[in-house]
Amino acid sequence: MNRIISDTINFGKQYMRSRIGMFFALVFPVLIILVFGAIFMGGGTSKITLHAQNLDEGSQGDAFLNALNSTTLFDIVEIPSNESIEQYINNNSLTVAIFIPKNFTFDIGEHLLFNEPGTVDIIIYGDPSKSTYGTVIGAAEAVAEGMNFRLIGKIPIINTVPININPGDDGETQFNYIDFYLPGIVGFTVMTNSLFAMTSTCAEYRQRNYYKLLATTNIKKWEWLVSKFIFYTLLLWLALVLTYFVGRAVFDMQAQLTPIAFVIIAVGAFTFTAMGMLVGIVVKDPEGASAIANAIGFPMMFLSGTFFPLEMMPDYLQIVAGVMPLTYLNNGLRDTMVYFNDGNALINLAIVFIIGIVFFILASKFMSWKEK
Amino acid sequence: MSETVVEVRDLSKYYPPDVKAVDGISFTIGAGQIFSMLGPNGAGKTTTVEILEGLRNPTSGEVMIFGQNILKDYSKLRKRVGILPQNFEPFDLLKPWEAIQYWTQLYDIRITKKEINRALERVGLFERRNIHSKKLSGGEKRKLGIALSLVNNPELLFLDEPTTGLDPKGRRDLWALINEIKEKGTTVFLTTHYLDEAERLADDVSIMHKGKIIAEGSPDNLVEKYGKATIVVLEGAGSSGLQKLKEKGIDAHLDDADERDVLVPVRKHSEMKSMMCTLASSDINMADIYTRRETLEDVFLNLVGSKMEDGVLKE
Repeated sequence: MNRIISDTINFGKQYMRSRIGMFFALVFPVLIILVFGAIFMGGGTSKITLHAQNLDEGSQGDAFLNALNSTTLFDIVEIPSNESIEQYINNNSLTVAIFIPKNFTFDIGEHLLFNEPGTVDIIIYGDPSKSTYGTVIGAAEAVAEGMNFRLIGKIPIINTVPININPGDDGETQFNYIDFYLPGIVGFTVMTNSLFAMTSTCAEYRQRNYYKLLATTNIKKWEWLVSKFIFYTLLLWLALVLTYFVGRAVFDMQAQLTPIAFVIIAVGAFTFTAMGMLVGIVVKDPEGASAIANAIGFPMMFLSGTFFPLEMMPDYLQIVAGVMPLTYLNNGLRDTMVYFNDGNALINLAIVFIIGIVFFILASKFMSWKEK
Repeated sequence: MSETVVEVRDLSKYYPPDVKAVDGISFTIGAGQIFSMLGPNGAGKTTTVEILEGLRNPTSGEVMIFGQNILKDYSKLRKRVGILPQNFEPFDLLKPWEAIQYWTQLYDIRITKKEINRALERVGLFERRNIHSKKLSGGEKRKLGIALSLVNNPELLFLDEPTTGLDPKGRRDLWALINEIKEKGTTVFLTTHYLDEAERLADDVSIMHKGKIIAEGSPDNLVEKYGKATIVVLEGAGSSGLQKLKEKGIDAHLDDADERDVLVPVRKHSEMKSMMCTLASSDINMADIYTRRETLEDVFLNLVGSKMEDGVLKE
C-alpha cells in the first residue's frame, strides 16, 4: 500500500508540475465550457427568427406578437394558419415556435367579463437544449405579464405554456445548451487525460529505461497501474468539480453533480488509463505515442457524442460510436447529471467498466518491464 | 581469494534468426572488486549486464549471484543489488531529494530527511537538492542515478556505461565516486567502452567482442600477456622525425592523440639498448625521449585489430 501511495504522490507531483498536464486537466475543460457557453448562451446582437402561428380571430393575438416584436429580439415569421404547427416544426427543423390559439381574444374577454378562474394559454414549442428556447420563453413571459397588467391589473390571465419538443427532457428544469454540453466536456477531459497522458507516459518510461529501474525495486506492475488509476481519478474529480462550478457560476447551469457522476468518472479514468497502457505497449517513443493517441482519441471524441448528438450522425457512424467507450461515458454522465435517470446511467457505467476490465487484463498481461 | 559474488557459466543470449548477442561467456567477480566489462558498442556488454540484473532472460547458461541462481528467484536478491541502467535520465520534474525519498519507498525502506541529505552529500548533490532534476548537468544526473542505485545499500552495484557522453570533468568526478563506493566494500560491475576508465578503475577486466570474452585479467596482467612491446616516445618529433625514422627502416608511427609524438615499439627487451642508441644518435629534433609500457588501448588494438573511439571500432 505504501508503494502505491508513494508512486501516486510522486507521479502526481510530476504531472502537476508539467504545464501541459495541468493545462489539459484543469484549464482546458474550463476554457471549453467558457468558450462554448459564450457561443451558445447568446450575448450576440443578431435577432432570433421566431416562427409564430396566430389563429386568433380577435386583436389580442396580434397585440401579443406586436409586443414581442417591439422587444427587438425577434424577427417574427408567420406560420400559415392552414398548417399543423407540429408538422411545420418538423418540416422546418425549428428549435422554437409560438402558437396563439383560435379563441385567444374571446377567452380573455370571457375571463374579464365573468371573472373565470384559470388562464388563457399561449403555447411555446421548443428544444430546451437550445439557448433560443430560453430566450423566447423569457421574452414571452415578460410580454404576457405586461398585457396582464394592462388588462386587469395584477391578476394574470395570459399564460405562456412551454412544450418540450426534445423527448429526452422532462420539462421540469430549464436546461440550457451548456447543461447538455457539460457531460461531454467532462467525458472528453477524462479521455484526453487518461488515454493521451498514459500512452505517452508508457512510451517515455520505456525510452528512458524507467521500467527497467522500476523492475529492480519492490513495486509490482499492478501496483504501478493502480497508482496511475488513483491519480487520474482524483485529478478528474477535481476537473469535474471545477468545470461544474465555473459553468454554474457563469452560465447558471442546471445540471447536477451526482454521486454516480463521480463513480462514472472513476470508472472512466480506470478504462482510459488501461487503454492508454495497452496502446503504450506497442509505442516506442513519446512522439509515436502522441500520434497514435491522437489517431484513436480524436475520432472517438467526435463520434461519441461529445460535441454533437449521436442522432445527427449517419447510421453507420452511430454503429461505430456504439463500440467506443467514450460514448457510454458521455451517455452515463448525461443520464445522471442532466436527465437524472440513474438506471440508464448505471447501465452505461457497467458497459464502461466491462470495457475497462478487458483493457486492464490485456495491459497487465502484455505490458513487460523487462526486455525479451 | 575473496568470496565470489558473481559466477557466470557458459552464458548465451541468441536472437532469431542468428544473432549471438552473448556467446557462451564465463567469468567470476570477487567481493569488493571493481569488475569492468570492456568492449565496443554491440559487443554484448549491456545484454550481459541486463541478464545479471534480472531484466533479460538468457538463452542458456547459469548465473549465480551471492550463491543464488538468478533464473530461479531474483526477488530475494533485489535488496542486495543496485542498478544504474545505460543512458540513465532522472525523473525530470522531481527534485533530487524527492527522487531519493520516492526510490527508498519503492524498496519499502523508511528514510529520514537527514539520511536523504547524507545520500545526496555522498554523491555531491546536496547543494542541488531542491532544483528539478531536468536542470542538472549530465554528470549530476548520473550522480543522482548512482545515488538512487545506492538507496538500498547494495552489496553489488551494476553501472552500465556510467560516464558515456560526459565531459572529462564529469568523468573524473564519477571515477572518484566509484572508487569511494568500492572503498566502502561494495562490489562494482562496470561496463564501459572507455579503455582508460577500465584501466584506472578496474581490478579485473573482461574484454568482450562480438558476444565473446576475448581476454580477461587485471589491467597489468592483460598488458603483460597481450602487450607486444615497450614503446619509446620521441616527444615532439612530429612527422619530420617519423619520416627520418622510416628512411632508416625503423618501425614507428605518430601518436594518435596529438600527432606530435613519434612512437617506436620495441618488441624484444634485448633490442632496447641498441634501439635507444640508434634513436639518440639520429638527427631528429625532439623535446624529450622516454619509454612507456603499453596500455589497455594497445592491448585492445592487438587483440581486435582496430582501435575503439567512443565505443565505435575504427576501421
